[in-house]
Amino acid sequence: MSTTPWHTSDDLAARYADGSLPESEAWSLEKHLERCGACAARVSAAVRQSPAAGPVLAQIREAVLRETALAKAVRPEAREAGRAAAHEAHRVSPGTLRIPPARSARRARLWSSFLVRALWAAGPAVRGAWTAAVWLVALGALALSYGAGVDASRPLLLALAPLAPVAGVALSYGVHADPLHEIAAATPSGGLRLMLTRTAVVLAVSLPLLTLTGLLLPAAGTPGAAAWLLPGLALTLASLTLAGWVGCRAATALTGGGWSCAVLVPALTASGGPALTELAEQLDRCLAGPRAQGAWGAAALLCAALLAARRSAYDHMEKP
Amino acid sequence: MSTIRVSGLRVRHRRTVALDAVDLDLGPGVHGLLGPNGAGKTSLIRVLATVAQPSAGQVEILGEDVGEPARRGPVRARLGYLPQEFGYYPRFTVREFVAYVAWLKDIPAADVPAAVDLAVRRVGLGDRADAKVRTLSGGMIRRVGIAQAIVNEPDVLLLDEPTAGLDPEQRVEFRALLRELGARATVLVSTHLVEDVAAACTEVTLLDAGRVAYRGTPASLSAVGEASGPDGIGDSPIERGYTAALRAHRAPLEPTR
Repeated sequence: MSTTPWHTSDDLAARYADGSLPESEAWSLEKHLERCGACAARVSAAVRQSPAAGPVLAQIREAVLRETALAKAVRPEAREAGRAAAHEAHRVSPGTLRIPPARSARRARLWSSFLVRALWAAGPAVRGAWTAAVWLVALGALALSYGAGVDASRPLLLALAPLAPVAGVALSYGVHADPLHEIAAATPSGGLRLMLTRTAVVLAVSLPLLTLTGLLLPAAGTPGAAAWLLPGLALTLASLTLAGWVGCRAATALTGGGWSCAVLVPALTASGGPALTELAEQLDRCLAGPRAQGAWGAAALLCAALLAARRSAYDHMEKP
Repeated sequence: MSTIRVSGLRVRHRRTVALDAVDLDLGPGVHGLLGPNGAGKTSLIRVLATVAQPSAGQVEILGEDVGEPARRGPVRARLGYLPQEFGYYPRFTVREFVAYVAWLKDIPAADVPAAVDLAVRRVGLGDRADAKVRTLSGGMIRRVGIAQAIVNEPDVLLLDEPTAGLDPEQRVEFRALLRELGARATVLVSTHLVEDVAAACTEVTLLDAGRVAYRGTPASLSAVGEASGPDGIGDSPIERGYTAALRAHRAPLEPTR
C-alpha cells in the first residue's frame, strides 16, 4: 500500500515550540523526528526562536561546550589506559578464555534480573514507602527504649505492629495502589491470587522484623513480643475479607481504624494515669492470656473461612 | 464461528447507563469499534476483558461463559488487553514490563524470553527493549502496551485506542500488524479515527449512547455515506457514512420512545 510521506509543517513546528500542540499530536511529531532530519531541523529552529525555550537552550549549549573543553584536557591519559587494557584483553582471550555465547549470557542476565523484578513486583508496597515505614517503627521503638530510656516502648510497638501488615495490604493491591492493576486484572493471575501473593510478601517482611524488635526491647510485665502475631494476622485476613465487599482501600481503613479505636483511643482519653501506662493496660486486656489470644485466633480462622467461601468475589472486578 | 458472543448486555456506572441491550457476535478478523466519546466503547472492552462486571446480560468468550468465575481463568490466559490508560512500575525496562505481564498470563517460564522478544519486535521496539519504560515517549509507551497484549499470542485481542500517539508512518505499520493478527485471532479495536477502520478492519460496529447504532463492513459504511448525498458531514466517504449512520440511529429514537 502506498502512503504519501508525512512531514512537519512550519505551523505545526511553531505550535510544538510554544507548547500549544495537543499531547497526542506532539507525541506523533516527536516520533517522526526520530527518523526525519529535515523536520528535526525545522522544529529545532522553531524552538530556538521561542521566547521560553530559546535562552535556556543557549545556556545549555554554553555549559556543554565548557564541559567538553574540560573533558578534552583530561582525555589523552584515559584513552591511553583504555587502549592498554583492550590490548591485554585481546592477547588473552583467543583459545585460553572462551567467551560464552552472547545469547545464553543475555538469557542468564535476563533471568536473574527477571527473578529479582518478579520478587520486587510481588508487592508495590514492599519496594515503596511501606518498607521504610516498618523499619522506622522498629528502629524508633529501639531508639526510644535504649536512647531515651522509655521503658514502655514495647506496648507502643505492640499497639502499632498490627497496623503494619494492614497498611502493607492497602499499598499492595487494588486500583488505587497498583499501577498495573488494570492489566493484571485481565490475566489469570489477577484477583485473589495476586492479592494473596502480595499479602504473603508483606507478612514475610513485617512479622519477623517487628517480632524480633519486640524481643530486643526490655520486657516489663506487658504481653510478650509475639502477642501481636495473631491479632496482626486476624486484622490482615479481616482486611482481605472485607475487600471482597468494599474494595481494598476502604477495607484496610476499616480494620486499621478499628484497631486504633480499640487500643489507642481508650489509652489517650483515660483519666487514670499517664497515657503509656493506660496503653499497656489496654493492650493487656486485648492481647494477654489464652482467652484473648484464642479469640484472635478464632477471628483469624473465621476470616480465612469467609475468604475461601467468597473467593469468586475477588476474581471479578472492581466495584463501580 | 464466533469467538465473542454478547447478548442483552447492560453496564451501569453508578447511576448512568454506559451500555444497554447490546448484542454482538464476533469471529476471527479485525473489528473496528467506532463511536463518539462516551458512547460506551471502553465500557464494552472492559467487560470483554473480564475486568468490569456487567449488570445484566450474557458474555461468552471462546465458548466459555465468563459470568462463571471458574471459567474465567482459562479464558484470560488466551486474552490480550490494551487498556486505554495503564501504569507501569517506574524502574522496569520494556523487556521486564512485557516479561512481567507474560508471567501474570501464566506463560511457561522457559518460553517467556522468546515470546517477549517476538512481541517487542513486532511492535517495532526491538532496539529499545532494554530502555526504561519511563524514558519513552507517549507513542512508544502505547506500543509497549500493545506488546504486552500480544505476548501470549491471544485468540481474543482487545485494544482500546491503540493508535493514540502513533505517528502516521507507525499507524500504517500498525495496521499491517492488525491484519496479520486478525488472520487467526479475533481483534477488537476501539478507535476514534475512522481512517484506521477503513484501512485495517474487516467489520465495523458503531456505538452511540450505549447502543449499537450500526453494524457492517467499512465498504457498507462508505456506501451509507455515498447514499446520504453531497451534504453529508465528513472528508471521506467513510466519514460521511459514520455521521450519516449516527444521525439515522438518533433520528427515529424520539418518536418511538
